[in-house]
Amino acid sequence: MIKKFVADAKAGKIDLVEHAQKALEEAEKINEEYHYLTAYADVIERAKELQEQVKNGTAKGRLFGVLISVKDSICVKNVETTASSAILKGYKPLYNATVIKKCLDEGAIILGKTVIDEFGFGGFSTNVGIGYQKPLNPLDKKRATGGSSGGAAGLTRKATFPHIAFGESTGGSIVNPASFCGVVGLCPTYGRVSRYGLIDYGNSLDKIGTMGQTVDDAALLLEIISGKDEKDSTSADVPVPSLDTPGAVSGIRIGIVKEAFGEGIDNNVRKKVLDAVYQLEKKGARKIEISLPISMNYGVPTYFTLAPAEASTNLAKYCGMRYGANEPLTGTYNEYFSRVRNNNFGEEAKRRLLLGTFARLAGYRDAFYNKAAKVRTKIIHEYKHAFEQVDVLITPTVAITAPTFEEIKKLTPLQNFMIDLLTVSPNLAGLPHITIPCGEANGMPVGMMIIGPHFAEQKIIQVAKAYDVHQ
Amino acid sequence: MMYTSDIVIGLEIHVQLKTNTKLFCACPTEATEPNTAICPTCLGHPGSKPVLNAKALEYGTKLALSLGCKISPTVIFSRKTYFYPDLVKNYQITQYEVPLGNNGQIILEDKKVVRIERVHIEEDPGALIHEAGGCLVDYNRSGIPLCEIVTAPDLTSPAEAREFMKKLLNVLGYLGIFDQNTCIIKADANISIKEKKYTRVEVKNITGFKEIERALNYEVQRQKQQEVKRETRGWDADKGITYSMRTKEEEEDYGYIVETDLPIFEISQEWIRKVQQTIPELAEQRAVRWTKEWKIDEDDARIIATDLDVAVLFEEISRKVDPVFTARWVRREVLRLLNDKKKELRETEFRKEELTELFKLLTEKKITDRIGQRIIEQLADKKFSPAAYVKEQKLEMVAGEDILRKACEKAIAENPKAVEDYKKGEEKAIMFIIGQVMKVTKGTASPTVVKELLKGLLK
Repeated sequence: MIKKFVADAKAGKIDLVEHAQKALEEAEKINEEYHYLTAYADVIERAKELQEQVKNGTAKGRLFGVLISVKDSICVKNVETTASSAILKGYKPLYNATVIKKCLDEGAIILGKTVIDEFGFGGFSTNVGIGYQKPLNPLDKKRATGGSSGGAAGLTRKATFPHIAFGESTGGSIVNPASFCGVVGLCPTYGRVSRYGLIDYGNSLDKIGTMGQTVDDAALLLEIISGKDEKDSTSADVPVPSLDTPGAVSGIRIGIVKEAFGEGIDNNVRKKVLDAVYQLEKKGARKIEISLPISMNYGVPTYFTLAPAEASTNLAKYCGMRYGANEPLTGTYNEYFSRVRNNNFGEEAKRRLLLGTFARLAGYRDAFYNKAAKVRTKIIHEYKHAFEQVDVLITPTVAITAPTFEEIKKLTPLQNFMIDLLTVSPNLAGLPHITIPCGEANGMPVGMMIIGPHFAEQKIIQVAKAYDVHQ
Repeated sequence: MMYTSDIVIGLEIHVQLKTNTKLFCACPTEATEPNTAICPTCLGHPGSKPVLNAKALEYGTKLALSLGCKISPTVIFSRKTYFYPDLVKNYQITQYEVPLGNNGQIILEDKKVVRIERVHIEEDPGALIHEAGGCLVDYNRSGIPLCEIVTAPDLTSPAEAREFMKKLLNVLGYLGIFDQNTCIIKADANISIKEKKYTRVEVKNITGFKEIERALNYEVQRQKQQEVKRETRGWDADKGITYSMRTKEEEEDYGYIVETDLPIFEISQEWIRKVQQTIPELAEQRAVRWTKEWKIDEDDARIIATDLDVAVLFEEISRKVDPVFTARWVRREVLRLLNDKKKELRETEFRKEELTELFKLLTEKKITDRIGQRIIEQLADKKFSPAAYVKEQKLEMVAGEDILRKACEKAIAENPKAVEDYKKGEEKAIMFIIGQVMKVTKGTASPTVVKELLKGLLK
């Protein structure tokens, strides 16, 4: 869909300004109803610029004229970027994140910023910052989009214009909402994509990824943004293969993670995913049962120790001194910054800052932060061992389908954390993973997650494309 | 730990490294106007990331090696969290669990060993500027590379602490990683005294090596006179006092975690060897070598070796002129002039060519010491050939004994009172007569020769 549009746009078959105007109107209309966008870029200005290029015969790029929405934790120059937090209200970055620069170089039009759980702190997008409206599921407004890249997933599902979304995953924030909204979510290997310009949640976990209506769309954007970046020392110097690859599953060994199909998983979800696996088997894949006891039992506590610990240092910089929210200058510095933070961070942000700070204090660091780091290493080894036996692993993306806001309200914080059960471990291990819709259960979409070894994005895309969504 | 000395001092010293750019971004380390050498990274803007300046790592390694430290095979950075307006991220990127170097030492004049526990690199915060009615922050300093040197509590007096700092500064100067004119050296000192059961007090923010002795002297006296509790104090250089900042109960917990925006850097033995090769022979080793090989006076050797430029100058001249003679003249004349003028060698016109020529004239007895001194003074400010100058000004030493003898006889005849005094046994009187001869010969006579001649004539 995107490919044809880009070819037509470059050939001058589409009036880009008119197209952008229409798309913008549609986005605004969707937004009024579903609350997906927090800020708009100068779409028309950019469309005119591109139209000019068509006229001059200089039109180029694999995303020429395509509208790209950006998760609100990724910096876009001069477009308000807040990580959906009141504490960054009004903040306009001075520079573009590397991923933004790369897609602008390919002729993309930045549409705007999509709403998230404040700083990424959540699995439902119900923890948006003070003053933000939570996004509603595109298929049922009583239900959540999933999170934290909820706005991105909802918009991807709703938009009828060619569009690809930037998401970001720390513990499952791409595949979780993609699964709840019935779109494709693709999260790369840690280090595959530069984090320069990504507002940090947990630096050792954060990964920028993509969402699209098709695997091809998500893969196209990922290929464009992948690669080593001098500005991010943790970006990997590993060659980027073509992600424009046909489906291929014959002879592939698929590991079915035993624990991910057991207790606590919605029966209808389990059935849909196993049906999908059966379809892949019919196409030549071999199914092997794999057990990941450490990852499945200790992933959630490990994640909820490490990620908040890192977050509590990352969010220390928001103190009303240099940018973002501020307050009248009264009292001591300690009183001042405490007031700014108290008035502008939401409840979940405060919870994670307290948890994270606690876990790294002198008397507790060994028992929590350091121990969690050790468990993380064990989880990485457990996956490594699994990938000696199989090519990819498959689990449901989330144990349930999108819940209603009423249901979410009743969850305890711990139950809330458990929503990430299946996604945190691949994220802790930095493994690439993709979710594709595989039918419906309880009237809502179900996602199947395919996980690959480090830097095997091509492999998981091949398997995903072998599955026929329209079967 | 059991202490025995009256005073126990340990130091944590922070040295700004003389790199062109900051530790984690490309901003310059030197700027004139406040808040001009800044970028999203050193301002802690959302989404910005640190990128390690390899030069700073090299400089830190150089220092650690020079202090005899073992270098860690991996370099890991950590976040030290505390809230302060000059700290842009409200955490400082530093090294915590594994420092760059450990187990080094500095040896003091009396052969006392001061152990260095760790050497690590970290970023400087911005600078607070207190003004009437408010406080301003200059972030030009934010992100400048610092090297922290932590000693064991091995120092036993404020004077020793000063000597330690001076030795350290000397090493820094030799390595060319620290500029005394633009870079800042700061110390925090842990100090306790026997009288108060070694209750430890930390004194923070002591700038420069002269201040350290002053601050610690004050603190020792204070501890003797007041009740001492475990606390952190600040040094107020203007008032010359320390003041309480916080007590032990209020100590901050920095909640260190690993800085995962930076990878773990592996340091190879080969890289360490390469860095080692860039380290010049240090002052102490040089001084010992000169004393051994050239029989230079120990004091002269030590003092000349202190400044790398002077040491190199001395070695180059010594290849052509007697080293013992050169050492004496470099110490007594060159260093005296630098001191008087308050200048570094490179800020004067002194060069090995002219000095070698001058020293040759002196050792070959072509000119007197007095003429030599006059010429060397001028060489500090302008370049010229001493040999040509001597010739032009007719300053060669009076060689003919006839001329000298005549001058002496004349002086004896003209100063009967001094002659009489001398003959009565007043040895000093002869100095007056020598002076008269020198005056007549305009300094071209050797005072030693004149004295011998006079003594002979007055027998």
